[in-house]
Amino acid sequence: MTYAIQTDRLTKRYGDTLALDALDLTVAEGEVYGYLGPNGAGKTTTIRLLLGLHRPTSGRAELFGVDAWEDPVRAHARVAYVAGEPFLWPSLTAEETFEFLARLHGATDVAYRDELVERFQLETRKKIRALSKGNRQKVQLLAALATRADLLLLDEPTGGLDPLMEATFRECIREAKARGQTVFLSSHILSEVEALCDRVGILRGGRLVDQGTLEELRHLSAQTVEVTFDGEAPQLPLLPGVQVVGAGPNALRFEVSGPVRPLLAALAERPIATLTSREPSLEEIFLHHYDSSDGRAGA
Amino acid sequence: MAVPAPSGAPRLAARAARRSRPGVALARRALGDARIRTIAFAYLFAAVAYINPVAYRHTYPTLAQRLAFAHSFGANKAVVLFYGKAYDLLTIDGYTAWRSGGTLAIFAAIFGLLAAVRVWRTEEDAGRAELVFAGIVSRRAAYLSSVAAIAAQMVVLWIAALAGLMIARLPIGASAYLALAIVCVVPVFAGVGALAGQLAPTRRVALELGGAVVAVAFVLRVVADTSRPVSWLRWVTPLGWAEELRPFTGARPLVLLAPLGLSVVLLAAAGAIARGRDVGRGVLPAHDTAAPRLGLLSSPAALALREARATLVVWLAGVGAFALIVGVISNSISSAGISKQLQRELAKLGSGSVATPLGYMSFAFIFFVLAVTLFVCSQIAAARGEEAGEQLETLLALPLGRRRWLAGRLALAGALAAAIALVAGLLMWAGAAFEGVRVSLARMLVAGANCLPVAVSFLGIAALAYAVVPRASVGIAYGLVAVAFLWNLFGELLGAPKWLVDATPFAHVGLIPAQPFRAVAALVMVGIGLSCAAAAIAMFERRDLMGA
Repeated sequence: MTYAIQTDRLTKRYGDTLALDALDLTVAEGEVYGYLGPNGAGKTTTIRLLLGLHRPTSGRAELFGVDAWEDPVRAHARVAYVAGEPFLWPSLTAEETFEFLARLHGATDVAYRDELVERFQLETRKKIRALSKGNRQKVQLLAALATRADLLLLDEPTGGLDPLMEATFRECIREAKARGQTVFLSSHILSEVEALCDRVGILRGGRLVDQGTLEELRHLSAQTVEVTFDGEAPQLPLLPGVQVVGAGPNALRFEVSGPVRPLLAALAERPIATLTSREPSLEEIFLHHYDSSDGRAGA
Repeated sequence: MAVPAPSGAPRLAARAARRSRPGVALARRALGDARIRTIAFAYLFAAVAYINPVAYRHTYPTLAQRLAFAHSFGANKAVVLFYGKAYDLLTIDGYTAWRSGGTLAIFAAIFGLLAAVRVWRTEEDAGRAELVFAGIVSRRAAYLSSVAAIAAQMVVLWIAALAGLMIARLPIGASAYLALAIVCVVPVFAGVGALAGQLAPTRRVALELGGAVVAVAFVLRVVADTSRPVSWLRWVTPLGWAEELRPFTGARPLVLLAPLGLSVVLLAAAGAIARGRDVGRGVLPAHDTAAPRLGLLSSPAALALREARATLVVWLAGVGAFALIVGVISNSISSAGISKQLQRELAKLGSGSVATPLGYMSFAFIFFVLAVTLFVCSQIAAARGEEAGEQLETLLALPLGRRRWLAGRLALAGALAAAIALVAGLLMWAGAAFEGVRVSLARMLVAGANCLPVAVSFLGIAALAYAVVPRASVGIAYGLVAVAFLWNLFGELLGAPKWLVDATPFAHVGLIPAQPFRAVAALVMVGIGLSCAAAAIAMFERRDLMGA
């Protein structure tokens, strides 16, 4: 099958800096893919390579089976892009910007764009230079959404949007998904990714350190078990895959990676008052990948 | 992880506190920001200051030659138009004061304007001024620190001009005074720029306002220098004050009070407005809301034309007005009394015999070739600006090829350059015809079009620089044009061998209407331009986009 996005050991060096290291990424058509990583992890580099704006040092990137560097024009035919920074033409009004980008893109659903202007409450007669960052971001976003392109490449698209607009944005992405559009959402807003995305990739220091559906990521990560006891908390033997991460006078908190049965067996004869267990949030998964101390945390 | 505090930390903190003088920090930042412009102008000032005395000494070694030169050339209205009024052409000093002073005063005016608009408007447009005013610095202190930064830049230019004159073995005292006469124009036009920056809501409008003032000052000087009845007009324009200071020829230092006084008044007025104004806005209203105008949005080149309209009008008006003046004045040229020998010498100064109307217009055209070539560089700068501002990233993420984008921009630059060149030819013809000079319109249009081969060659070279070293390309483009042009004017006068002088494209322009069109040279230059442009497009397709 053809993927909307497929990269093969995609690598980019800027001088001595390895910005992206042998990225293998596939995004199926119709999927909403969340691309997570802190500042400087290589998210924007990835998108620039996907668009053929920067040349891969090695490896390749394809959009709908078309090489992004060799044939960018054909690769972009089914793509709309929202840049991380809303740099547009300061002297054009929002409406003129829409018109310009629409003519260059070739396919724009004007009725849908008008509807979006209403929903995002954008003042279209103002010049870009007079708009706030959030409003400039809306201009980019609306221009991209209105193309109804098969693939939306969004680089931190909600920077500067207020919570109401953020909610409207989420609705639009859900509608896009319902129509079968593919969305590649680069972000560091975990709640946004958690709410919208089918699959998530976590990038760190230019490498994809984890990838999968939220369910899969959760299974791979530790789940948290909290137990309170009638009376003093007991001493438990060391168990494989179980770590005590917190203790109170009559409570213990464990992180369990892998099967939970050994812990339950060890607790079976103890005077348990309550026992709660929860799956890790995306935030915990994310932080887990960045806290491990191999010296590259927070890179 | 907590970092253990180094033992010297308290001392460092104390020193930082003592050294935290925000005004000084701002002035240093402004100076650092202006360093490239300052260095470039300093080189220019030093070069022009050095070249003129050396060339004069080389070309007119005897008094007899100088007398003949002064008699015919210095009194020639047409020459005065370009270089200003001459008071003494018999000495190296007097010649230098005339040639260097007149030209550099104009560059000093442009420098002052650019420096002021940069610190007082561009910083606000970019939103950086808000950051400054959000700190502990008062607006008054911030304003004064910018004034100090421009004053420091002026001192650098003064030293550069002085150094050039002294290396050319002119006496130190008089050189210092000439250099002062040149740079005294800087604060006046810095004041103009400061005021324009307060009035205008955007950088572009500020530059247009200030540029108009520079143009008016120049035209006033031209009129005052070329027509005796209104020579008092020289006192109205700061560029005239630079002449009235009479460096090397009976100095009148009291005249310095005029630029000093006007600078203080303008800067104080701008400062007063700056303190009472909303940061980021101008006194004039900004037209931030507009009904959509959907013309010229069909392609990146169309949008570039739309964005360049205001600039283009300024270029057309400036070049057109100058061409008209040259045409009108050309009729006052007479070859009577100029020896054949001297005519040949004159030809070296300006690449053509200036002793006839046609010869004079030909001589003038080398400056139009320069103007059109500089315009072409400005178009490469605009293209680079679109990349640096990351608008290009948005464009190229669309189904739009790089080849189409760059080829479109280059074609636009060529077309606009052609328009400017033809307007120059047309209006020079109109001016000359009005004064009864017999020259055909077709011939003058060819003369205009003859600006294009050089412009196309530099367009290609600039495009190649853009494709290979984008961040440095704009400086390279302007720098190459400046060096090539100056080399054409002075290379031979400095005694360089012919093959070396011929290295500049400007040496190969057949100056129409007096000289025949040099078809082979033109073809070679166009060929160089086109092949460089083709190489540029190919290279541009192979590189990463680069932001600012």
